[in-house]
Amino acid sequence: MIELKNITKSFQNGTIKTDVLKGVTLTVQRGEFIAIMGSSGNGKTTLMNILGCMLKASGGSYRFDGADIETLDGDQLSELRNKKIGFVFQAFNLLDGTSALDNVLLPLIYADEYPSDAKERAVQLLESVGLGDRIHYNPNELSGGQHQRVAIARALVNEPAIILADEPTGNLDSESSKEIMNIFKTLHSQGKTIILITHNRNDAGYAGRIVFLRDGKIFEGEAPK
Amino acid sequence: MKAMKIIGVSSKSILKHKMRTFLIELAIMVGIATLTVIVSLTQGANKLIMKRIQNFGPDAIMVHSGGGKMHGPSAVEQANLTRKDISDIESIAGVKFASPFQVEFDMPLKYGNQFTATSVIGVEPDWEDAWRRGASKGRFIDYSDNEQLSRVCVIGTTTAKELFGKVNPIGENILIENVSFRVIGILEKRGQSPSGTDFDDLILIPFTTASRRLMNQPLYTSMLRVIVADPAQAKDIAGTIKGILRKNHRLASTEEDDFRITTAEQVAKMIKSTSKILGIFLWLIAVISPMVGGIVLMNIMLMAISERKREIGLRRAMGAKKKHIIFQFLSESVILTVSGGIFGVGVGVIISIFIRHLGKPISITWQPFVIAFLFSVLIGLFFGVYPAKKAANLDPVQALNQ
Repeated sequence: MIELKNITKSFQNGTIKTDVLKGVTLTVQRGEFIAIMGSSGNGKTTLMNILGCMLKASGGSYRFDGADIETLDGDQLSELRNKKIGFVFQAFNLLDGTSALDNVLLPLIYADEYPSDAKERAVQLLESVGLGDRIHYNPNELSGGQHQRVAIARALVNEPAIILADEPTGNLDSESSKEIMNIFKTLHSQGKTIILITHNRNDAGYAGRIVFLRDGKIFEGEAPK
Repeated sequence: MKAMKIIGVSSKSILKHKMRTFLIELAIMVGIATLTVIVSLTQGANKLIMKRIQNFGPDAIMVHSGGGKMHGPSAVEQANLTRKDISDIESIAGVKFASPFQVEFDMPLKYGNQFTATSVIGVEPDWEDAWRRGASKGRFIDYSDNEQLSRVCVIGTTTAKELFGKVNPIGENILIENVSFRVIGILEKRGQSPSGTDFDDLILIPFTTASRRLMNQPLYTSMLRVIVADPAQAKDIAGTIKGILRKNHRLASTEEDDFRITTAEQVAKMIKSTSKILGIFLWLIAVISPMVGGIVLMNIMLMAISERKREIGLRRAMGAKKKHIIFQFLSESVILTVSGGIFGVGVGVIISIFIRHLGKPISITWQPFVIAFLFSVLIGLFFGVYPAKKAANLDPVQALNQ
């Protein structure tokens, strides 16, 4: 499903060049629930952005569902994100003053064809994350955990090939974190492919496989200190 | 479908950000209201000019005593047109007739204890044909009035109102410079003269009475209105008249004319040249003020976009292409300017109606609406493109992490 080979990424800041990723190689199978762990400053976010096709790598190759990502242009990448990736962010990123339902429907605005059952689908997804009674609530009327559930429903509405979750519990208390991670667990058991990026060992424990990102490289199993 | 969805997003955002919407619409409204009022004013002025030119008459040539470049009628003190001049002019081929008249400005009038002053014009009965203007009430001055030097007068509606108020003037006696005249008719209403004065503020008396009794000018005539058969010939005939008068007045080639000749064409030219500068000036204001609105729009949209970077980043992550973002913000701009424009036209029309009530010439037609609408759309597009492009070109990763 996902195949990263020797991915590098460096940022140029004035005359200083920083290598963030120094040759990441990673394969993710369909239906896998993988956690990428690493403390902050290890290039987790950069890797996440590359996996999410928001950022192009400086080197290496990235195959996503059979497509060579490096060869795609901006519009094609947008289309790919729209069709195949469901994002869950640490900061939730819901639109203010917009109902839970409309937030969930957001990705479908940009779909090639607006599904005729869009609304039913969104309501069903909100029900499945336990918010069936709050579909018309605005984000400011919802708790942090509820925010993230709306965001998960939004990530699922376009029936993506993978779900990309970047520190999804980073802004939540332990109770809500547990609930959110259980939702991911359920999704995985339904056959979804999930990539979780986290620094939290508990969260990573929900995944079927854990890899470590350290010094810009991926290590299977515990990273060398 | 996708476009409709995105327009829906734009409309929601407009309703959500009420202060921003209010400020932009206010700016556009002021601009478009100004445009509407100015278009109405210009059209009103143009209509008035057309009316004035029409009032002059396309088949008329005016001959004024005295040279120079002054506009308007010549007073009786300047009179230098002789009977021979008149009969020579009348014998030119293509001239139907020439109606002479004497003008004296600011003659004191008195009725009862009402005083006023106005222009008194001594006219022949053919004045009625020459100006296509007779008595709307009572009767006009006839030949016997002229033969008998009768002290009768036909009075303009403005003068009648000033002097008589609600009293019926016909049959009443008034004093013109202490000479008693009987009012025999009310002159048909006409509006403004070519030079912009009130064409209804005047009193007509018989030509002979004016020349001999009131103005002491038995030999010369101050003005002549020549009517030609074919308006197309007016210019040529005016040239012929000039030749005749120069010869009759024995003017040497180095001397300037001691008369002035005006044709409808010249009147039109004169009025248009004065109104042209004003017109350009007004149009400049009309175009600039909506532009100012557009600049306000651009500013506020740029501010809004930097506030909404996160939203833009999120939309990009969810699969919005650059063109979708451009379309979203451009349609936001256009919806704002068009609705502002609609308010603007509304306010403009109210102001126009108000101005009309103040008695100023203003014309309210469909044109300002169309112009204002097109202008609103253009401003929305023109001033909305830059912010929309800026929004679309944001780096999604950076925008999302704001």
